[in-house]
Amino acid sequence: MTSAAHDPGAAGTMRGESLTRLLARAGFTDTRKAASLLHEDALGPVLERIDQEQESGLPALVRDLGRVADPDLALLTLVRLVEAAEHEEPVHELLVHPGPVRSRLLAVVGGSAAMGDWLVAHPPAAQMLSGAEERLEMPYERVRRRMLTAAGADPDAPVPVGEEPGDGALDAWRRAYRRELLLIAAQDLTAADPHALQPAVSAALSDLAAAALEGALALARAEMGPGAEQVRLAVLGMGKTGGRELNYVSDVDVIYVVEPGHGQSEEEAVRLGSKLAASLARMCSMPSAEPPLWEVDAGLRPEGRNGPLVRTLASHVQYYQRWAQTWEFQALLKARPAAGDEDLGRAYVEALSPMVWEAVNRENFVEDSQAMRRRVEDHVPVAEADRQIKLGRGGLRDVEFTVQLLQLVHGRVDAGLRSPNTLEALTQLSDAGYVGRDHADELAELYQFLRLLEHRVQLHRMRRTHLFPTAEADLRHLARSIGYGPDGVGELTNRWRLTRRRVRQLHEEIFYRPLLPATARLSAADAALSPESAAARLAAIGYRDPVGAVRHIGALSAGLSRRAKIQRQLLPVLLGWFADGADPDQGLLFFRRLSEELGTTHWYLKMLRDSGAAGVRLAHLLSTSKYVAEMLIRSPESVAWLGNEADLRPRSLDSLWQNLDAMLQRRDDTEQAARTVRYVRRRELTRGAIADVLGGVRVEAMETVIAPAADLALRGALRIATQEAAPQMGLAQDPAEILIVAMGRLGGQEVGYASDADVLFVHEPRPGVDPEIAQRWAVTVAGRVRTLLGSTGSEPGLPVDAELRPEGRNGPMARSLASYASYYQRWALPWEHQALLRARPVAGNDELGAKFTELIAPVRYPAGGLPTAQLRELRRIKARVEDERMPRGVDAVHHLKLGRGGLADVEWTVQLLQLQHAGEVPGLRQTSTLGALQAAREADLLKAADADRLQEAWVLASRLRNANVLATGRTNLQRIDVFPAGAELAVVSRLLGYPPGHATDLEADWLRASRRCRAVVERLFFG
Amino acid sequence: MDQQQEYVLRAVEERDLRFIRLWFTDVLGSLKSVAIAPAELENAFTEGIGFDGSSIHALARVSESDMLARPDASTFQVLPAKDGEQTTARIFCDILTPDGEPAPADPRAVLKRALGVAEDAGFTFYTHPEIEFYLFHQRAHEDDPLVPADTAGYFDHVARGQQGHDFRREAISMLETLGISVEFSHHEAGPGQNEIDLRYADALSTADNIMTFRTVVKELALERGFEATFMPKPLPGEPGSGMHTHLSLFEDDVNAFHAPGAEYQLSPTGRSFIAGLLRHSHEIAAVTNQFVNSYKRLWGGREAPSYVCWGHNNRSALVRVPMYKPLKGQSVRAEYRGLDAAANPYLAFAVLLRAGLKGVQEKYELPEEAEDNVWALSDGERRALGIDPLPGSLEQACQAMESSELVADTLGETVFQYFLANKYQEWHEYRAQVSPFELSRIGLI
Repeated sequence: MTSAAHDPGAAGTMRGESLTRLLARAGFTDTRKAASLLHEDALGPVLERIDQEQESGLPALVRDLGRVADPDLALLTLVRLVEAAEHEEPVHELLVHPGPVRSRLLAVVGGSAAMGDWLVAHPPAAQMLSGAEERLEMPYERVRRRMLTAAGADPDAPVPVGEEPGDGALDAWRRAYRRELLLIAAQDLTAADPHALQPAVSAALSDLAAAALEGALALARAEMGPGAEQVRLAVLGMGKTGGRELNYVSDVDVIYVVEPGHGQSEEEAVRLGSKLAASLARMCSMPSAEPPLWEVDAGLRPEGRNGPLVRTLASHVQYYQRWAQTWEFQALLKARPAAGDEDLGRAYVEALSPMVWEAVNRENFVEDSQAMRRRVEDHVPVAEADRQIKLGRGGLRDVEFTVQLLQLVHGRVDAGLRSPNTLEALTQLSDAGYVGRDHADELAELYQFLRLLEHRVQLHRMRRTHLFPTAEADLRHLARSIGYGPDGVGELTNRWRLTRRRVRQLHEEIFYRPLLPATARLSAADAALSPESAAARLAAIGYRDPVGAVRHIGALSAGLSRRAKIQRQLLPVLLGWFADGADPDQGLLFFRRLSEELGTTHWYLKMLRDSGAAGVRLAHLLSTSKYVAEMLIRSPESVAWLGNEADLRPRSLDSLWQNLDAMLQRRDDTEQAARTVRYVRRRELTRGAIADVLGGVRVEAMETVIAPAADLALRGALRIATQEAAPQMGLAQDPAEILIVAMGRLGGQEVGYASDADVLFVHEPRPGVDPEIAQRWAVTVAGRVRTLLGSTGSEPGLPVDAELRPEGRNGPMARSLASYASYYQRWALPWEHQALLRARPVAGNDELGAKFTELIAPVRYPAGGLPTAQLRELRRIKARVEDERMPRGVDAVHHLKLGRGGLADVEWTVQLLQLQHAGEVPGLRQTSTLGALQAAREADLLKAADADRLQEAWVLASRLRNANVLATGRTNLQRIDVFPAGAELAVVSRLLGYPPGHATDLEADWLRASRRCRAVVERLFFG
Repeated sequence: MDQQQEYVLRAVEERDLRFIRLWFTDVLGSLKSVAIAPAELENAFTEGIGFDGSSIHALARVSESDMLARPDASTFQVLPAKDGEQTTARIFCDILTPDGEPAPADPRAVLKRALGVAEDAGFTFYTHPEIEFYLFHQRAHEDDPLVPADTAGYFDHVARGQQGHDFRREAISMLETLGISVEFSHHEAGPGQNEIDLRYADALSTADNIMTFRTVVKELALERGFEATFMPKPLPGEPGSGMHTHLSLFEDDVNAFHAPGAEYQLSPTGRSFIAGLLRHSHEIAAVTNQFVNSYKRLWGGREAPSYVCWGHNNRSALVRVPMYKPLKGQSVRAEYRGLDAAANPYLAFAVLLRAGLKGVQEKYELPEEAEDNVWALSDGERRALGIDPLPGSLEQACQAMESSELVADTLGETVFQYFLANKYQEWHEYRAQVSPFELSRIGLI
């Protein structure tokens, strides 16, 4: 190296600015090295001539270098290029004169390291750049001639045969390909607006690939020797080759079709055709002095890699008629004759393309196409998901998918939509009114940007990559290559992010917006589908009654009201969200009803418009839970909660009671007051159910929402009943204190959406009051509480059930504390002791509550545990209940409450542990099943593994029961207690958080959990 | 759609077949058959043939009884017919739910799932069954005594003219025309007892072949005036009919049980696989030996593999590692001798595979080899050697299965639950019987 001898700063040509600063301004990162390279022997003569011939010639050269993606790389490559050239002068000549040719050379060596390396290996090729100007406009026929000639074939021959590939024809043909690639890249990299040029670049690359295939075929024929001309083989371009949207580096997808030539049998034709096709692929990819072109991929052929490489046309037709799957038709959409026998290629397209357009009528089209899309997304490695230009979310594949899906849906009846090229198809869709013009234009722009990114990333090192770079240097290269300024990396990254987001949004706009009728267009540029087209599109995304859906959409978007206007904006997005739910049709129907209830309400529309989250939630609720949907229609004001997290959180019982208490004080009329109580309960249930559906049906809802709502209703009803009882009986004041004790599930705060309230009524006469009168009063109050919450009325009731009272149905509805005391001391049966484990005072006099709790403590928490006789009796009762109470026709493993490993199994087991040990273990003295189970585990009364199994089954059964109500809206207890089947199972599984299509997993999970649970119960309960 | 299906459709057309029998198997291992016209076959491939699953044991809950049978084209076979004219073909089916998911109660799906587990671990599972059966003269009534077709013994060449020999020859040639390769056949130890060994093949094909085998043998027997039975113990005092099955795992095309130079050339994988078979033999017994009668074979003496142990050339062991043939490393295998010929082969192979795999995956230690005839040992000796007995009855086997996570996971919860319920039912019905044995005892009192 002699460069060290030069002093870069001393270059004599600088006027007012040092070379280093000039280089830095041009974007060189290593200015010292650049300066010394400029003065190397290789470029010395160039600088000298520039100096002599031009004013400010060096600054102009440096400025030109500053326009390329990587000036440092460009300069280094130039030095290597001059050094490699046999004759330096021609290269010098290219560099001395400013102008388009020099710009192209600089752009290539600065834009693509790989292309630069190839130039260094083939210096004379640089001279071709003077003719690169209009390379992209070159007609295909000329490209074809060039590639065939390079292969040594006569382009005018009907069946061109090349020269023997081993004798240099292969390498000559490959060199010709690289030269063409160089010219395309040169024009691409110097384009003033590379986005706009992108489709032309892709088309030129596709044409070049097709022409190269012709050349390869000519070489393959030469290799096969005599007879090769007789084989009628056509090569169909598929995928991006077929769509004329190829990138710089990509596999070339093809399908081969063969027909017997003159005098050939079909078998012979297939045999020779296969040989020829295999040889063709080898020409493109086998190692030789010149690098390979690309892989020829015939994997899209019938039967994929297992199928024969080559088939006759009839065999292709038969395959697609009989066997092909949805995605294969989608692939066929892109088929285009690329090389070989032209007539045959055209015949193939003519025979097969009609079938593409019937694909949408296939049975599983919707599922297949959705599954296909998911598969693509699933196949992207997580680490790459945000960097994939092609397959990631909002990437090229998303655009192509949107366009192709629309083509398949509407191309069946409209033959004008069938272009294999994505951008052309998009234009066709928009011209024919299937997609709004503005949206189509915007999507095309985004697509071109993504393609440009992909091209430039590939061009850099000529690698088949689709990843947005992460290395700072690569990012800089990419940003500068697209024309961003020196600090363009941030800008580029930002645009990349925005583009992907916008692609996803546009999918919705483009797909769903035109479903609205013409009268509902937001602007003249919007498309509006005919009812038939709209129905086809809705069916393609999973609406089961598309005609009905079109009707709903029409009704929702009609009119001049503000509501209609806003709904026209919202509906496209909502339609997509409904389609993600378990039952899209139900979602849309309920939305219509809801909007008829609420349509003019100011906040409703505002919330839907402004809060994205609220809209998603509403769509999910309406299309997944009939219970919530019906509740929302009943009290539409609840919809407002969706916009506010805090409104969906459960209210504490105290604050609810304050609220209710205040309301009751303002009501004189008893009926009205009772309605208020029931209304507040329903409101809280709705709140809980919404949160439950959104949160995956959690077991906690029973304790935090459903039980408090019942407690509240009992308190309210008791208050109303006591207020009217004494005056009615002619008493000046209440003759006694009264108390409601919750029993059973309510006592344990484990009630479901459809449960009754099991209770006991307790009273204690005030001093000096006749016990008879007190008793009569208490019975009156108890009866009144039951009526107030009973079945009649416009608000849902809460059936109050007192059958757990002493003597059951034969006993009085209410008893005094003293009467309970004597009963429990003398008469109570073992199961009554057990039932008291769940007793929890919920309404009435607190002091009396404390007394009652104290009274029953020794009964339910016996000091010495359970006497053997009682233990035996409990086991016997449980066994009998299992046998007798199971409803007919229900399989024991499918009954959530009484079946194998169901709720009753767990609860009896836990209660047995409580009866046996609560005397000694204070933690067991509680009404909650899970709480007591936890205490028992902590006290080592059972093994942790056993406790887990009990808990798992109990939690799943409880969630299933609640999900049964939420899914169907049915509150019929018999149905709720049974594991769901059929369509209901599908919805319930979605509610419980299973992905679509995994309903059978839920069933297996339940059977497993209940089986394991039962094994524990057998051991622990029955001993 | 694939080439195989295309081939089948072409074959149906070319051979002018009249009926296609769609075969599948219920949970208990009974073959079910639906005949369709050739014109329906194409539709059956693409969409499946709908049928009411609730009429088949355990296949579906009544509320969702619609099921689809979708033929597996690779199992297509033209059936040999009596008059030499081939008019019917059979094809095995997978059972699907209306949504196209595999039905949980399809035994074929159970085996496929187990094979999938093996595949995930890099193994393919090969089996080679030795199927024993008895041939009796046809009876007029069910209550008539069973009269064996011959009185020859083990390996006897039953002289020509004696029908048993002809029968075996005919059966074998029929199996061969059905594409089922036969390895070996000979007269077994009991009167009228025969054994035919199928060549080793992947487990799914073998299970299909066993189903075909049973059908062919039974039908042929009826034609020739015999009754063939795969009942595990038809004659007290005579040997039972087992289905000793040789098991091996392959990694690609290399036998994973083979380790040159190791004891019996048995690799660590092979050793732990056998350890898995032994350790889980209790809980899988209800599947490998699924009838009340199965336990009469296991506990009827005469070399039955009643004790959980393994050995090299030990004819009383539950698992035998057969003699190694030099230079035939691929043939190293474990012979499970507990299985009987009345098992549901799909379920049985599935549980055997998963038991062995569990041994491999958790690296079970193989216990000491049993070198003695374990029948000849005393109870105390066996206890000292750590050799446990297999379940003594169907009831004990059910109890062992009931607490097995391995079997539940292998069969799937639906099959598991149905199978157990059905087997307990069988036990209860059996217990309610009064046998001639009891009557004869009472006569003494």
